[in-house]
Amino acid sequence: MRVFLELGWFFKERKKQYGIGVLMLLAVAFLGVLPPRIIGFVVDEISRGSLTPGFLMKWLGLLGAAAAAMYVLRYAWRQMIFGSSVLLARNLRKQLFDHLTRMSPAFYQKRRVGDLMAHATNDLQAVQQTAGPGVLTLVDSFATGGFVIAAMALTINWKLTLIVLLPMPLMAFLTNYYGKLLHERFHKAQESFSGLNDKTQESISGMKVIKTFGQEQEDIEDFQRLSGKVVEENIRVARVDSLFDPTISAIIGICYFLTIGFGSYFVTRGDMTIGDLVAFTAYLGLLVWPMLAFGWLFNIVERGRASYDRIRSLLAEPVDIDDREKALDERPEGNIVVSIEKFGFPEDERAALRDVHFMLKRGETLGIAGKTGSGKSAILRLLLREFEGYDGEITFGSVPIQDYKKQRLREAIGYVPQDHFLFSTTIAGNIAFAKPDAAMEEVVQAAKLAHIHEDILNFADGYNTVVGERGVSLSGGQKQRISIARALMMQPELLILDDSLSAVDAKTEEAILASLKQTRTGETTIITSHRLSAIQHAHQILVMHEGSIAEIGTHEALLERKGRYYEMYQLQQLEALVEQGGEA
Amino acid sequence: MEEQKVLTGKAQWLVFKRLMRYLVPHKKMVFLALGLLALTVLGDVLGPMLIKTFIDDYLTPGTFPTGPVAGLALGYLFIQVSNVIISYFQLLKFQEAALKIIQQMRIDVFTKVQNLGMRYFDKTPAGSIVSRVTNDTEAIKEMFVSVLIGFIQSAFLIVGVYIAMFFLNVQLALMTLVLLPLLFGIMYLYRKYSSVFYQDLRERLGQLNAKLSESIQGMGMIQAFGQEQRLQDEFNEINDKHWLAGRRNIKLDGLLLRPAIDIVYAFALILLLSYFGITSFSSTVEVGVIYAFVTYVDRFFEPIGQVMQRLSIFQQAIVAASRVFALLDEEDLAPRQENGLGTIGSGKIEFRNVTFSYDGRNDVLKNISFTAEPGQTVALVGHTGSGKSSIINLLMRFYEFTNGDILIDGKSVKSYSARELRSKMGLVLQDPFLFYGTIDSNIRLHNRSMTDRDVRSAAEFVQADRFIEALPAAYGQAVTERGSTFSSGQRQLVAFARTMATDPKILVLDEATANIDTETEVAIQTSLEKMRRGRTTIAIAHRLSTIQDAELILVLHHGEIVERGTHQQLLLKRGLYHKMYLLQNGIVE
Repeated sequence: MRVFLELGWFFKERKKQYGIGVLMLLAVAFLGVLPPRIIGFVVDEISRGSLTPGFLMKWLGLLGAAAAAMYVLRYAWRQMIFGSSVLLARNLRKQLFDHLTRMSPAFYQKRRVGDLMAHATNDLQAVQQTAGPGVLTLVDSFATGGFVIAAMALTINWKLTLIVLLPMPLMAFLTNYYGKLLHERFHKAQESFSGLNDKTQESISGMKVIKTFGQEQEDIEDFQRLSGKVVEENIRVARVDSLFDPTISAIIGICYFLTIGFGSYFVTRGDMTIGDLVAFTAYLGLLVWPMLAFGWLFNIVERGRASYDRIRSLLAEPVDIDDREKALDERPEGNIVVSIEKFGFPEDERAALRDVHFMLKRGETLGIAGKTGSGKSAILRLLLREFEGYDGEITFGSVPIQDYKKQRLREAIGYVPQDHFLFSTTIAGNIAFAKPDAAMEEVVQAAKLAHIHEDILNFADGYNTVVGERGVSLSGGQKQRISIARALMMQPELLILDDSLSAVDAKTEEAILASLKQTRTGETTIITSHRLSAIQHAHQILVMHEGSIAEIGTHEALLERKGRYYEMYQLQQLEALVEQGGEA
Repeated sequence: MEEQKVLTGKAQWLVFKRLMRYLVPHKKMVFLALGLLALTVLGDVLGPMLIKTFIDDYLTPGTFPTGPVAGLALGYLFIQVSNVIISYFQLLKFQEAALKIIQQMRIDVFTKVQNLGMRYFDKTPAGSIVSRVTNDTEAIKEMFVSVLIGFIQSAFLIVGVYIAMFFLNVQLALMTLVLLPLLFGIMYLYRKYSSVFYQDLRERLGQLNAKLSESIQGMGMIQAFGQEQRLQDEFNEINDKHWLAGRRNIKLDGLLLRPAIDIVYAFALILLLSYFGITSFSSTVEVGVIYAFVTYVDRFFEPIGQVMQRLSIFQQAIVAASRVFALLDEEDLAPRQENGLGTIGSGKIEFRNVTFSYDGRNDVLKNISFTAEPGQTVALVGHTGSGKSSIINLLMRFYEFTNGDILIDGKSVKSYSARELRSKMGLVLQDPFLFYGTIDSNIRLHNRSMTDRDVRSAAEFVQADRFIEALPAAYGQAVTERGSTFSSGQRQLVAFARTMATDPKILVLDEATANIDTETEVAIQTSLEKMRRGRTTIAIAHRLSTIQDAELILVLHHGEIVERGTHQQLLLKRGLYHKMYLLQNGIVE
């Protein structure tokens, strides 16, 4: 029940809705007591033969009025309480999303997408259940139960009430016990189901092996066996699950039997009337629901608490990269100086970078070469302030990058990542991602610079073609070029191409590089690449090796050194030849 | 989130009818359950009848002759007890039937999946196939268990209650018939609007989750481009729409669900009391009859609300079933064998003018011809996409081809039975796939006739025995999903043993030495050599050093054989092979 306290801030925020809603629930519970009582009165009059039209009209009118009022109240409290619970879900979801946009890549490295999604779906759902149906069952099971028992004891016969209620705790006990049994069996059934799921997944992934060994039939038999196990486990669940209804009706049956038996005794003794007896049996029917609701309440609350804890701990994750106090609110420009003694990615003891020092003059192009894991991307990610906590300093226009507002720093950088991520929207929407209100001409201009314009025109809907899972599938090269156009849209002070020409053929690569050179005369560019052709025209080339700079210089100077760069260059020439089929 | 197909009413009906056909094999069990259900309804109806008799015949006059009263009491208790027992078995039988039906459906789908061609797996994500086999069928089970059974139960109960009411008082029973159109009206309205509103809510939730998942995956980009605020706004818009849709559903539920059913119940009570009240003005009314009617009406309303609340499950199950049926009707089947009686003897392989295309447009193999004599090794080399793997895919019959032919021992590969082909040809994949189980089960696979000795000698043959016997549980060592606890070299050795255990005539190696750590490489090389001895081998090799002793090397480029010969011959040619050789050895001329 602690979760109700933990959600107290929300109940306070919506105290009008919850206050009125709970009052309405109480009113409904109270009005619900009327119909059986009215039945009792009318039956008494009928059995005595003293019923008058006026009496009948009066009580039936009251019954009708109560029913109408209950309808209105039932509708209204749903709006108040359930309405508030969906509002809670909406607000928490918004908070979660806002929080997620502030988290750094280090956070996303340790959390899986599915896990984060689970917070926003299942956990929010459970919290919503607590704030809606949870509140309902809490109020209702006590209010309805209390009112009905009070009506039975006070208006009819307290002795009969006591006798008849005796088996009721047994119902609560048994359903609770079944619930526990069910929980354990259900868990096993879920396990066997997920086993079946894994089996299917495995068979599909290993389809080639199965076909190779001609084991289709045997695999089907195996599946049959597992699916049989699912049936078995589920029947075990059904064996308990099927107990609920008969148990409830058995206990209600006993209660009825006691009512009629002892009730008749009281009637013949003149302690109560036949009408009272009929009313009493009707009340009995009203007691079933609060008893069951009481059991559910624990379930809902238990899940709600666990889920709310998870959501709160996610929201409590600190934002690790934030603006400093008095951060500069201007777009950085100028020379870039990188001077890093040592840097390691979080939760990785090895140093990703060691002794990396270089200066990049404004307007120049820097090429970075090296194998995967040599530290190329690490440099870029530090420049983008995706990670912090290194020994050393990076300055942009003589100011440490941490002193700029994050937003302003990133505005100045056009970043084209290795793993090009496109959003499921139109191509134009993807290119204008950083500038959603840009004119179409601007988008086309960027696409032309990235040499993707012609490709786009060939799609059925041109720039309005939707990409992503449900849209057209693009080749790797096309995706890369759209990513480049997206970065160019910002007219960035610093353009970063992180191995983003790898899937583009040699000719297109050359054309893109040439147009970049033409249009970006005053601005700075960094290109990392496996393929040296992409960086050989840079003003300065770094060759990275195991996190350090192995060689530095221009293409010509590096060739002359006959070191790593030279070797890489020669092998790539040969590789290009092989790719083309051996004929140069 | 998978897209929800919108089905027309007629399509829904067809899907439903097809679902119902799954009941046929279980008709005995279904009829038994229905019979039990009828009995419980009978009990439900008889109970109040006995109490009615007691009230009218004994309580009202105030006489309690021991015999008849005890009889009534015993009768009542007997009905209660037997009802509890019967309804327990009835509920259980229905669930059992539903589970068996779903099991059959799952097996059908899985069998279908096993018979599909590789082409289908190329175009369909594995996740969505798994979803068809498990999650969609689970949704259908939900429908059987919670909707269909509830529906039948309500129908039986309504009929039973009406029969009892007619038995007690025809006039009043006729009057209460007016409740039916009222209830059906509410149900109709609710279904009509909820199918729209609920669908809308689900779609909004789908959008919400899609946006969230995409934003999480693309968060790096969003932050790099400083678009956090815009994405927050976009998300809020969807979030708000989802919220509004949620509120609309609450309104609808409030208007038409429980509150509406309850007001009809109140109306029914007013109707009953007015009738009895007015009748009492002119004649006597038996209190027991009032009691019975009040009880019956109460019973009658119980299941209706439940059924209505579960209508959405029904809707989802129909959509799920339509997806399952679409898979069952899929026509991209695996290539068929002619089931000839021929057996593979010496293992001579011949490709004759084979041209092949995956999509019917771009040829990935162009006029490929070559012969591998029995016991010879033919190596395929070439760049990614040159067509090496396609040659193996056709030889292994993963894909159907129409141009040219592939002959084994002079007869078309299509003419052998699948069993013969699979037992005489062994394929080792680049990524050695291990199944969840043990080392032993991974070598043996499902072959029951294989003895432990066979398994061991296969492992010894490929020199996998050394690392296996060093494991804590040796051959019984557990293999986790995809064998992730073993190195790629160890996995490959197990895969070798698995292939050798079947003692194939023809060996097909798909870059079997590609992802191997240096530790196991030596072991693998020696095993490979042993395995090839006496077997016709077709091998794709990335590392040219592993196939230098091949009798024939084919160099492929863009689907054509551009060079062929032995290692020495090809080196002398100083063509493509020569360049690849230099590249691999890191020699710069």
